[in-house]
Amino acid sequence: MGRIVQLDHALSNKIAAGEVVERPASVVKELTENAIDAGSTMIEIHLEEAGLASIRIIDNGHGIEEDDVLIAFQRHATSKIKNEQDLFRIRTLGFRGEALPSIASVSRLELRTSTGEGPGTRVLFEGGELKEHEGYSSRKGTDITVADLFFNTPARLKYMKSIHTELGNITDCVNRLALSNPNISFKLINNEKKLLHTNGNGDIRQVLAAIYGLGIAKSMVPVNGQSLDFKVSGYVSLPEITRASRNYISTMINGRFIKNYALAKSVMEGYHTLLPIGRYPIAMLSIEMDPLLVDVNVHPSKMEVRLSKEAELFQLVDESIKAAFKTRELIPSNTPVKKKEKDESEQTQFVFETAPAPSPISQKPDASTEEYKQPLWREPVVRIEEPIQPSDTKTDYQPIIDSVVNSGNESSESYKVPSYEDVFKGDSTEISEEPLPSQHEEPASRIPVLYPIGQMHGTYILAQNEKGLYIIDQHAAQERIKYEYFREKVGQVESELQEMLIPITLEYSTDEVIRIQENMTELESVGIFLEEFGYNSFIVRSHPQWFPKGLEQEIIEEMIQQVLNVKKVDIKKLREEVAILMSCKGSIKANHYLRQEDMQALLDELRRSSDPFTCPHGRPIIIHYSTYEMEKMFKRVM
Amino acid sequence: MRFIIQRDRLIQSVQDVMKAVTSRTTIPILTGIKITATEEGVTFTGSDSDISIESFIPAEEGGDEIVEIKETGSIVLQARFFSEIVKKLPLGTVEMQVTNSFQTIIRSGKAEFNLNGLDADEYPHLPQIEEEKTLKLPADLLKTLIRQTVFAVSTSETRPILTGVNWKIENGQIICIATDSHRLAMRSAPIEGEEQSSYSVVIPGKSLNELSKILDDTTDLIDIVITENQVLFKAKHLLFFSRLLEGNYPDTSRLIPTESKTDVVVHTKDFLQAIDRASLLAREGRNNVVKLSTMDGGFLEISSNTPEIGKVIEEVQTETIDGEELKISFSAKYMMDALKTLEGTEIRVKFTGAMRPFVIHSLNDETITQLILPVRTY
Repeated sequence: MGRIVQLDHALSNKIAAGEVVERPASVVKELTENAIDAGSTMIEIHLEEAGLASIRIIDNGHGIEEDDVLIAFQRHATSKIKNEQDLFRIRTLGFRGEALPSIASVSRLELRTSTGEGPGTRVLFEGGELKEHEGYSSRKGTDITVADLFFNTPARLKYMKSIHTELGNITDCVNRLALSNPNISFKLINNEKKLLHTNGNGDIRQVLAAIYGLGIAKSMVPVNGQSLDFKVSGYVSLPEITRASRNYISTMINGRFIKNYALAKSVMEGYHTLLPIGRYPIAMLSIEMDPLLVDVNVHPSKMEVRLSKEAELFQLVDESIKAAFKTRELIPSNTPVKKKEKDESEQTQFVFETAPAPSPISQKPDASTEEYKQPLWREPVVRIEEPIQPSDTKTDYQPIIDSVVNSGNESSESYKVPSYEDVFKGDSTEISEEPLPSQHEEPASRIPVLYPIGQMHGTYILAQNEKGLYIIDQHAAQERIKYEYFREKVGQVESELQEMLIPITLEYSTDEVIRIQENMTELESVGIFLEEFGYNSFIVRSHPQWFPKGLEQEIIEEMIQQVLNVKKVDIKKLREEVAILMSCKGSIKANHYLRQEDMQALLDELRRSSDPFTCPHGRPIIIHYSTYEMEKMFKRVM
Repeated sequence: MRFIIQRDRLIQSVQDVMKAVTSRTTIPILTGIKITATEEGVTFTGSDSDISIESFIPAEEGGDEIVEIKETGSIVLQARFFSEIVKKLPLGTVEMQVTNSFQTIIRSGKAEFNLNGLDADEYPHLPQIEEEKTLKLPADLLKTLIRQTVFAVSTSETRPILTGVNWKIENGQIICIATDSHRLAMRSAPIEGEEQSSYSVVIPGKSLNELSKILDDTTDLIDIVITENQVLFKAKHLLFFSRLLEGNYPDTSRLIPTESKTDVVVHTKDFLQAIDRASLLAREGRNNVVKLSTMDGGFLEISSNTPEIGKVIEEVQTETIDGEELKISFSAKYMMDALKTLEGTEIRVKFTGAMRPFVIHSLNDETITQLILPVRTY
């Protein structure tokens, strides 16, 4: 007899289970994905002991035909793809036909299913062996119970983590499935305790609220972007809300949750300088693309994918997030914004825009006395501002928040799920496409006009306007102003080159060499002149003068890497740290007295900067107490 | 604007007004020096949020021509570059000329600089001061008054009023008080012609520091003009403006103990050096604390102990020790700051107990009072 034998089915299923079924969370993931693929609109997941005792998943999908039931437990049996071409156009979550037999081989699995026509079927597998098979009356859909997971693979069972860890994994997994399928109602129950319930009305914001809480969902900003190949949509949190881990960045591609470090990094790039070091945003991005551009057949768990045109996608993500913040006022307020119900009508009023007049002391004394004789109101520009009326055609952002707040005030019951429906009564598409209310005519300034009141501890400027009190960190504010100036300045290409006595030799692989040669002119434009030097290597005889001593080779390599990745050298990015350092050093520090004119000048300058909310290190510059909040604190309003 | 000027006078003036120019300001034009040429001479102005300094160079002084004015006018030049340039120019005379669009040529010998200037009309005007209350002090006395008090001001803006020195004019005396709430320095001096007046202002310590750097040690009288929110020091060819701190200076008169329980008279230099030595080890500790105990035989024991490093004990011979025995701890830095300002070879230290503030005077001279709060040890 030969040494090589064909393994039997039960054994090969167990081996496959090693890849697909790692822990209870993978069972939940695979079975829930099946339920999603079956076109369900309601999926209930019941766990006992975090799934270690049993996992029951009930859906109302199209069910399995009686004849198909047993075939479904064969390896590589699936309804989702039929031929080779389908493999490259996968629109379903599953397609390998491995999950069900794998799970069945390591557990006691009971399946009840019905297509809604005729009687249903019930099967029971134990360790991959069919124990029972009978007709069964059942409603439309599928009901799978997986009990005693890993009862026949003690080694695996031994490596299960604590119940809390496993439950955490499952919740994480279901959260993400819920996020990628807002039109399906998910219910996750562990030991009779409800952990998650989404209502499945298609509004991602409500799913976000169910998962992260109402407050966070409210402070998330819609993101939209589109290029020829990709469509990006989703929600990202305001920079004031951060988490210490990257795990809160969820990315979906064609409805599938995927892990992609580079994609998460491009989300971070979108937040550039808005976040403190080591803090990460909460984000939910759904990316749609032609299935041809993505290869999900990388790993059985399908968490990793291969993307074509990665660089374009990352750029789109980065730009979409930046665009979402570009026009927004990002002043954190001490409590969630609570505003009064907007009045039905609003009195029009004059808007006094102070012309950029020279500060009082800069006026000549005689000129200023003359000016006082003139009527004061002639100097500022006066215009009548149209009141923003809540109209039917355009859903205003404000009423939505108001209604959220109101329902939140009514009772603590509002945390129950059903109330989200009245909370987010606006159509989700309407919310995302709604133009941002712009208060100022010039788009350049993103913070309102502020009038300094005084200075506190020589560190913070207190300022006011009709909306309330603003507290500004003077150092951070000037740092931002200077940073924007230096960033431009250091990005300018200087033409001086420093010759080197001993040239730098760089070696690259053949494919990289070809791409470098292609982009030689790009490098030359920033002062890197590569000469080919033997096989697959280049030498550099001189470098731009601004390179810091000792880091020449590092910087050249980084530039070449940039060329390889994005075909462009961005000196601004390379020298960003220099710009941040320069801006920090050149700025007024804390504990520094400022006159009224100094403060006014600083605030005016801040209004002109393009990103006046955080300093280059990501710390906030302004915080805001609205008049209403102040009144509330003093119990002038209750 | 065009003139030729003596380089050493130019350097002196530029250095003086540079004291008021900081590189960190929210109003960019204030990083510059304003230069104004009139028929009478050239004026240099520097300003920041606390102080403004104006230095004037007359066209002619004592029959010598210092500046040759060819064309009047004004310009603002970047202070950092301008001051470096004038310091390094090769010849004894400098020619300055403003051409179109605020381009300024600085020429000396064969060297020629072309600086981009700014419009002088945009430079803030100096405060207009009406001469309300004026007093006169000799420059050297003024400098002494500043030196003996200003070190004690607070450097933190948390209580802004304490960053200044309180000047009280009453009963024909000027009393200067500074405190950072851990120690207090007070100096009084008689002034002439002010017997009837009585007022009190608080001048930022930073301003006084700069002022004392600019003033020469002469007996020339300095005019001091005090208004609601500004003070102006007028010397020959020099105007020094400072803002005044707003608010009420705390009443310090009750803080100074009038009686004492332990009286020590000791040689200033010996005492200072002993404290200095003891603080070598104390410096590493948190508070820079040294301990002082009275000993039999007229000795003071000064010691410091930092367990990780080691300890030091030194005995200092005193002139006299009267009163109760005492053990007290205090900051070596505060003590040395205070001792350095005292004149005379001997000092008298008056203690009123280990937890009470103590006072240091020069022997037989009570115009200067240094008060230090002890450090509580447990």
